[in-house]
Amino acid sequence: MNFNELMKNEFILLDGATGTMLQKSGLKLGEIPETLNITRPETVMNIHRQYIESGTQILTTNTFGANSYKMKNSGYTVQQLIGAAVKNARSAAGDKALVALEIGPIGQLLEPAGSLSFDEAYEYFKEEILAGEDTDIIFFETFTDLLELKAGVLAAKENSDKPVVASMTFEKNGRTFAGVSVASAAITLEGLGVSALGVNCSLGPDELAPIVKEFTEWTSLPIFVKPNAGLPDPNSNTYNVTAEDFAESMDKITDYGTVKLVGGCCGTTPDYIKALKKVIDNKTYKKADVKKDTAVCSATTAVEINQPRIIGERINPTGKKLFKEALINNDIDYILSQAISQVKAGADILDVNVGLPEIDEKDMMVRVIKALQSVVDVPLQIDSTKPDVLEAALRVYNGKPIINSVNGEEKSLTNVLPLVKKYGASVIGLTLDEDGIPKTAEGRFNIAKRIVERANALGIPSKDVYIDCLTLTVSAEQSACKETLKALHRVKTELGCKTCLGVSNISFGLPNRELINHIFLTMALEEGLDLPIINPNDELMTGAVRAYKVLADIDKNSKEFIESYNEVKTEKPKIVSSHISLTDAIINGLKSEAASLTEKALENKDAMEIVNSELIPALDKVGVDFESNKIFLPQLIQSANVAQACFEVIKKHLSKNNNTPVSKGKIILATVKGDIHDIGKNIVKVLLDNYGYTVVDLGRDVAPEIIIKTAIDQNIKLIGLSALMTTTLKSMEDTITLARKTPELINSDGSSKVIFFVGGAVLTEDYAKKIGADYYCKDAKESVDTAKLVFSSQ
Amino acid sequence: MIELTEINRAEALRYMGGSKVEMNEIMEALLNSCEKDIIKAASPKYLYKKIPLENSGLLIGNTIYEHLKDCREAVLMCATIGAGVDKLIRSASVTDMAKAVVIDAFASAAVEQVCEKTEELIKQEIPDKYFTWRFSPGYSDYPIELQEKFLSILDAPRKIGLCANESSLLTPTKSVTAIIGVSDKPIEKKRRGCAGCNLRESCQYRKSGERCEF
Repeated sequence: MNFNELMKNEFILLDGATGTMLQKSGLKLGEIPETLNITRPETVMNIHRQYIESGTQILTTNTFGANSYKMKNSGYTVQQLIGAAVKNARSAAGDKALVALEIGPIGQLLEPAGSLSFDEAYEYFKEEILAGEDTDIIFFETFTDLLELKAGVLAAKENSDKPVVASMTFEKNGRTFAGVSVASAAITLEGLGVSALGVNCSLGPDELAPIVKEFTEWTSLPIFVKPNAGLPDPNSNTYNVTAEDFAESMDKITDYGTVKLVGGCCGTTPDYIKALKKVIDNKTYKKADVKKDTAVCSATTAVEINQPRIIGERINPTGKKLFKEALINNDIDYILSQAISQVKAGADILDVNVGLPEIDEKDMMVRVIKALQSVVDVPLQIDSTKPDVLEAALRVYNGKPIINSVNGEEKSLTNVLPLVKKYGASVIGLTLDEDGIPKTAEGRFNIAKRIVERANALGIPSKDVYIDCLTLTVSAEQSACKETLKALHRVKTELGCKTCLGVSNISFGLPNRELINHIFLTMALEEGLDLPIINPNDELMTGAVRAYKVLADIDKNSKEFIESYNEVKTEKPKIVSSHISLTDAIINGLKSEAASLTEKALENKDAMEIVNSELIPALDKVGVDFESNKIFLPQLIQSANVAQACFEVIKKHLSKNNNTPVSKGKIILATVKGDIHDIGKNIVKVLLDNYGYTVVDLGRDVAPEIIIKTAIDQNIKLIGLSALMTTTLKSMEDTITLARKTPELINSDGSSKVIFFVGGAVLTEDYAKKIGADYYCKDAKESVDTAKLVFSSQ
Repeated sequence: MIELTEINRAEALRYMGGSKVEMNEIMEALLNSCEKDIIKAASPKYLYKKIPLENSGLLIGNTIYEHLKDCREAVLMCATIGAGVDKLIRSASVTDMAKAVVIDAFASAAVEQVCEKTEELIKQEIPDKYFTWRFSPGYSDYPIELQEKFLSILDAPRKIGLCANESSLLTPTKSVTAIIGVSDKPIEKKRRGCAGCNLRESCQYRKSGERCEF
């Protein structure tokens, strides 16, 4: 018997809780349940046997936490623990049940919430999977982070050929602790090719019912359900649902359809499994209809492509000087701010392109994807021409992304489609091939058809291929627009695919481009365009999509439209009089006023004079007020932000006149290895930025080697380190020690080329000296003072 | 279930650099909008468990020994306001650092409130006993490395998604673990003060002439 044969049964009976049974068998406080596989194998086998006798068809091993992180103090290796556990389960199961290797979460949060990397997580799982080779199925259970589960599923797929089953644990609000939605879990796991997916733990069957129901709307894969025996009493640790009531509730849940594997989690015992067996024994399995259309998702948000959805195009260096600079300077925050503004403007999905010859695109793509997913909820579209960049991004992406793109060229089809399949993504198909872009709609339709056929052959459903019939410039060839729209219409109606289109290319070379773009977009929507790729910050374009949804009877009761435009514009109380000075504007945190006053001042004053006689003195005044407790820290930062707006005006002015931008010196900032509290470092960054220094922000949890390498590569003399906890002060010391030992950073007279200033909650002046720092800064303001001192003495 | 409806503003202001500062309109508006954001993003959770102290392996260092010397039992507790708050702070750090600082301060005040409410629940649950105040790993000479042990005894990673990283930092970051001593007889109320605190030299509050509630 193997898993596929077993799945031919109407229903499959899983087991109940192992932990609950171990506690009943006298597990001591602090005793590690997995060690019982070795210390008391009889106890474990006895529990297994009771489940087999109750009718369990898939037995899970007692290995929930058997990863090398959790087991580091157990006295045993993962191989010993899992080896013994599998042996126990096999011996109890005999030929009556299959044995599943049970794998639970690692016990540390992944980035960005924690500091465990995707690759580290993968290695923990891989070790477990290899140790559990002699099992029939790999069972991931009780996960709350979708990315961690993805690392596990990939580790299983890449290191074994066993079927993989995966479940997550949801709260009553339909989300996991990490915020993962039911839709996101269903879509992502199905894409990754698991054999069954579902829910376990945390709630009783009745509370889990609506969550299971939602699963059935999103996936056609067999669903498994393992509820708790109700809710626990925090003191006695007993549960409030009896075996009979449990079985009755599960009877209703299996009526939903698609639910095929049933068992129990915390609080359930062999009695529950016996009761469950009675329910399913004479029942016929049926499949529910998948109600939802194709969708893409992040961990928290699924976007169903059942109506036009806006893909924001702004994360792309093409033709954008500032964006290129940001990429070259590793200024991830700039990219993040571009993302946030597009989402605020109405983007449903964001395209991400970071291709630039000067940088390592793969490395940058991975960093940007991780950073974007740590601040925005919308799904992303990974945009690169290089398969290795696509794959690197696909691995670490949390959810189901869109790949941009594949086309009709043989090389592209062979390289890109297998990635789409393996990682369960959707893909944009461009209607061009070795011979270029066909002129006619017919030609483009034929390429689309070929792409879809090739995708289908690999098991990628047509609904996950989004065809782009390509917008050509109408001023170059006037009939091109009609051909594009004709092709789009045919793809939509004949191939059943979703369609996408970059819009703005249409108007190239014409005046009043906005108008042409906007009308073209409207025409395309009417032909069935699902995914316009536009600049969402362009109100006319975003507005056209919103208005179309009202007029096409998609936006019911114009709800979304009204919400978008009915916002009461609350103007801040303005203290502005026409006589306000630039200094006052900065002190009072009035951004737009300060910017326009700067512009005015530039008409008759030298840029540097404005910086030195107005901006800096105003910031200094605010700094002094902060030090003497006259204003709050946020006010200090607000003023600094206003000053930044002024600096931006000055920078623009200078670059217009071909002057070099104002930079008073370059400084590295980093929160040290192991530390993830970076708010202090960020405050320092804002202040330094606004005093005119160029900050290279390496982020948080930064290894000493990276800091040293950056100092060498970019020839930077001043380094600021931040650490919040006593445990991470050591990393601060390590970083300084490494710098003092690195030949490239030592002058010929033996002195150090780099200067360190350090700060953080638990740091003291004495300690700073002890670890070899040059300056101790008690707050952000002192960091600025230090920078001034260092750069003025050079 | 603990719900946050409003956040202790005085506490939050203290985190922001002092309660002596005069409030103005701009600051007031910023505080109001940030308080709303954080209440929406927060997902407060807590766990506690009463355990015997003998052989618990939790009495490491002089301060905790002194702190719990009248107690044979203790309650371990942990509280968090969830990962959504960390995301909110990260997002604000990119767009508006001033806002990020305010949200961060409110978040710290919020998790403190959740701790207080948890403590109330514990005291209701265990009547007719006397309690010490909350003592956390990392206070004084009480090793921060015990975080993991606290979390593991409470089964916090599985039950409320609260973990520690390899530097023993709690994740989500706005979280707390603590131990409260339980005794049959009244416990001498020791003054929690700066004098007995090992963080005395580096304390942010002391630097600005204030004090924490320790």
